[in-house]
Amino acid sequence: MKILATVKRVPDPETSIKVKPDGSGIVTDNVKWVINPFDEIAIEEALRIKEKVAGSEVVLVSIGGNAAPNDVKEQLRTGLAMGADGAILVVTDAALEPLVVARALAKLVETEKPDLVVMGKQAIDDDSNAAGQMLAELLGWPQATFASKVELSGDQKSATVIREVDGGLETLRFPLPGIVTADLRLNEPRYASLPGIMKARKKELKEIPIGDLEKAGLDVSGRTQLVKMEPPPKRQAGKLVESVDQLVELLHTEAKVI
Amino acid sequence: MQALTFGITDEQRTIQETTTRMLRPFEARRQEFERALREHGRVPEEFWTALAEAGLLGAFVPEEFGGTAMGLSALATAADAMASRGFGHPLFLLTGMDALCIARSGSASLQRRFLPRIASGALKLCFAITEANAGTNSFRMTTRAVRRGDSYVLDGEKTFITGMDQADYVLLVARSRSREEIERGGLPKTSCLSVFVVDCHTPGISLTPLPMRAIDGAAQWTVHFDGAEVPAENLVGEEHAGALAMFNTLNPERVLIAAGACGQTERLLEMSIAYASQRVVFGSRPIGAYQAVQHPLADLRIRLEAARAVTMKAAAAFDAGVDPSEAGTYANMAKYLATDLAIDAADRAIQTHGGSGFSEDVGVIGYWERTRLMRTAPISKEMILNFVGEHVLGLPRSY
Ligand SMILES: Cc1cc2nc3c(=O)[nH]c(=O)nc-3n(C[C@H](O)[C@H](O)[C@H](O)COP(=O)(O)OP(=O)(O)OC[C@H]3O[C@@H](n4cnc5c(N)ncnc54)[C@H](O)[C@@H]3O)c2cc1C
Repeated sequence: MKILATVKRVPDPETSIKVKPDGSGIVTDNVKWVINPFDEIAIEEALRIKEKVAGSEVVLVSIGGNAAPNDVKEQLRTGLAMGADGAILVVTDAALEPLVVARALAKLVETEKPDLVVMGKQAIDDDSNAAGQMLAELLGWPQATFASKVELSGDQKSATVIREVDGGLETLRFPLPGIVTADLRLNEPRYASLPGIMKARKKELKEIPIGDLEKAGLDVSGRTQLVKMEPPPKRQAGKLVESVDQLVELLHTEAKVI
Repeated sequence: MQALTFGITDEQRTIQETTTRMLRPFEARRQEFERALREHGRVPEEFWTALAEAGLLGAFVPEEFGGTAMGLSALATAADAMASRGFGHPLFLLTGMDALCIARSGSASLQRRFLPRIASGALKLCFAITEANAGTNSFRMTTRAVRRGDSYVLDGEKTFITGMDQADYVLLVARSRSREEIERGGLPKTSCLSVFVVDCHTPGISLTPLPMRAIDGAAQWTVHFDGAEVPAENLVGEEHAGALAMFNTLNPERVLIAAGACGQTERLLEMSIAYASQRVVFGSRPIGAYQAVQHPLADLRIRLEAARAVTMKAAAAFDAGVDPSEAGTYANMAKYLATDLAIDAADRAIQTHGGSGFSEDVGVIGYWERTRLMRTAPISKEMILNFVGEHVLGLPRSY
């Protein structure tokens, strides 16, 4: 069984983000970069399937830069150190919108022929929550998004996925190949141990210039344009109250919530 | 924030991340962890298990014995990252350097017997060289190891031995040739020591506790050897060549101390910045707005970059196998810079925190002793200056 797991390089969620004064993006100096936390869950799920299904292979795929300051190879190596077997980086410095990402992934699916693609449900930087769905549409494959549990049938011909939906759980079964996007509670991702980091040294990390995919028909034109980024308004200082009565009073008269 | 360090590799960044992740569950219950440490005088056992699972106990252990042999740069990176988060285990460094000694100088069978269990976390090791009447001058030691059949018989006393009660084995440096033998034979004075891996529970070994401070999670002991027998196969390296085996181990220990001191500085800075950013006493500006508070912290940050660069250079030199005297120069310099820096960082952190700097709950005051220790042990500041004066500057030996 071959599984593709997607990797996006994003700012560490613990880093405090500053918007550039001209609103064209975020300040990237001193930002620590990590694997998108939902992608990490996707990698973990792929590795767990690999551990259960003998002869499986997990290949990481990413689209992004291959040199500082935007070097995704660092995150791919981390994924390899977690236990993935190989990695493919489609090299581009352009910030791509989800549709272009989905198209590029579709091209990779053509050549890699996976049985399953596991992705994060969204990337924590732009929160688009779109690439997985778009990829399924482009490929005409079934999809199960927001997965909180994934189980393969004994013959690995179909998957049963529990999805967290508003107010409950939904169980889907679909034939493979298919797309699963990972939600937060799907699993607790492992971290790379030193032996894993050591093994990753010898694993293949293949780089494909995005131009190669364009020659094969990839359309990199987007439909959206980043107009402006703005930081959220500064939070007002809190207020200490003397008593519960006063709290109730203020909730009523000032906050007007009760 | 773990600032970018000159020359840091992607792999080292991954090791930082691995260490941070390994610490996460402990971070989530830091207070409980620290309380257990205070009450029992020991680091909770799960911490050791976590170190083993992350592969950090096998950094000097070859792959064939279950380690990675990733080396000193990897381990120093982890030691720095761990201290940056305010965590550590006193037997981590000791076990690491003992593993290195066995891996570099031990026989194949000794390696096979010990290294896999070190990498897996099954064994903890401590280290005993210091004696009351020898001190810095190890060649004055009197603890004897005398060959009798298939064993060596140990007699004498070591002191200040950290964690002897928790460890399974102690790496012991003892005198295998008497002074008379050395003098009579006209032998070099360095050819009198041998190193052994000794089971801490061997009959004939007894411990007296010492009322010491400065190390969290492990007490110091005077260790008495009264005819304790150690199998001859537990000799590390050649008989009488213990000085060389030790020499190979003490430099990396200095680098690891330096890395830990860099991490402690990072931690103290972080605590100071957080406090200085929110503490308001005059008007509405936080104390961090005052240059008297801000500049010393900026000074520490600048010196931290320098200390880290020298520490990683020392580690890289060791890993690259450069001439030990050159690697030793960087190791000593790193230890000198980083430990003095950590002491200053503790001082500034206390000052920045005002009275809270003395509160056990705030957790800054503990660093006062923790960092100060490193100016004295395992090697004093004076001995480093002696080394640099003599071996780097080429000036006459001062003692
Ligand atoms: C908390 C703690 C834990 C320890 N853990 C261990 C352990 O686990 N295992 C172990 O073996 N040892 C351990 N030690 C011992 C430690 O390594 C020694 O204390 C240290 O090496 C110094 O030796 P000393 O105490 O005999 O000092 P001394 O050698 O008596 O030195 C006293 C002072 O004189 C100075 N001095 C000595 N000679 C010179 C010279 N030639 N030139 C200039 N100045 C000089 C020294 O720098 C020092 O300031 C520990 C010590 C402490 C405090």
